[in-house]
Amino acid sequence: MIDLAENRIVMPGELLSEKPERISYAFVDKGKTYSTVVGLFSEGKLVPLEGPYEPLPDDLIVGIISEVKFSGYSVEINAPYVSFLSSREIRERYEMGDAVFARVDRVDEVKNIDIADAKKLPVGRLVKVSSVKIPRIIGKKNSMIDMLKSATACDIYAGRNGYVWIAGKGNQTLAEKAIRMIETQAHTHGLTDRVAVYLKSQQ
Amino acid sequence: MGATGKEKPKLYESGRRVDGRGLADLRGIKIESRVLNDADGSAYIEWGKNKILAGVYGPSECIPRHDQSLYRSVIKCRYNMAPFSGMEEHGRSGPSRRSKELSKVIKEAFESVIISENFPKTQIEIFVEVLQSDGGTRCAAVTAAAVALADAGIPMKDLISAVAVCKIDGHMAVDPGKEEDNFGESDMPIAFSPRTGEILLFQMDGLLSREELSEGISLARQASEKIRKIQVEAIAKVYQEPKEERFLVIK
Repeated sequence: MIDLAENRIVMPGELLSEKPERISYAFVDKGKTYSTVVGLFSEGKLVPLEGPYEPLPDDLIVGIISEVKFSGYSVEINAPYVSFLSSREIRERYEMGDAVFARVDRVDEVKNIDIADAKKLPVGRLVKVSSVKIPRIIGKKNSMIDMLKSATACDIYAGRNGYVWIAGKGNQTLAEKAIRMIETQAHTHGLTDRVAVYLKSQQ
Repeated sequence: MGATGKEKPKLYESGRRVDGRGLADLRGIKIESRVLNDADGSAYIEWGKNKILAGVYGPSECIPRHDQSLYRSVIKCRYNMAPFSGMEEHGRSGPSRRSKELSKVIKEAFESVIISENFPKTQIEIFVEVLQSDGGTRCAAVTAAAVALADAGIPMKDLISAVAVCKIDGHMAVDPGKEEDNFGESDMPIAFSPRTGEILLFQMDGLLSREELSEGISLARQASEKIRKIQVEAIAKVYQEPKEERFLVIK
């Protein structure tokens, strides 16, 4: 079921290259490149299998309003840091506990995070997964998430930060179960097909 | 166990140690990773009769705020022995002189491998609970905590491991058990960074000559390579046999 042949699983401190190279989640020591995380390495790319969310500008994220302030909102975004959403240029008003879909606007060197372009999410449920699994939940050219949306008739918002918001009148429980399945099997091959079979069997 | 007050047994006789091992043999080590549902990373280790659970939380916002650094993540470690973990004085809860010392040395071993500059203003917490002890718990704790940190996806320069060496009846031996620890001439726990060969933790009880010391270090180095293989297997197993739930099941 699991094919790790073309993707080598690497450990922290494992040699990736004899030359100094710029690879994300790797570091260079004495002219050689080593991994810093447990990850899958293939074709010069290292994909971590686990890890905290590190916000980058232009990430699309799902956040939860954690505090209403004078000039904006504190938003919890599954990172070690709380982000700030300025109420300038927003027409909506939020309350504590509201879910928003937003874009990371700016991250500075001490990780003050500003987010922008927020949109309030409709009533739904939050599924927390590891942020490194989100590309799998979205799939190549949105294949996985489109399949989930059509099979469960839910609206699904997958935030880059690992928060997935499921809304709409469809089968939310099935959508959540499928997302959990993708999360535990994210590193395996042929996952889209297996999820399709699972969704069909549950309908 | 419970060796205090007992007569010193013969620790090394006709090529066999008190539990039947050779000088360079480790006790049986089993590691299972991802065993706690709510921790970001976790590991359970059985090293001989030692049973230790390690959990890692973070990086998360550093509390209290006056501990936090604008430059790096603060690493915190708590080593604790359960009141029922051994035959000696561990009956009271709360930090003791010994557990504070071990928390400190374990923390310092990890400070040199965790890439903490990536997460300013945060903390990374390592919790080590000794459920059953039989000598060498600090080494087992470092070994388990390294697996738990890797499981949490915290960037590290290396997957470290630790092992003790001892001097029993004039011979250097690796991985002392309780009896060898109590009656041996010397006990020396060492943690290595296998990538560079650097020593990250080094303590010593008793006396050793220069030659014995270098023999001990090379014994420990060989043993730590074996331990690293077991660590790597434990981490890889999480992905080879994915589980829906992360609960510890003792088979």
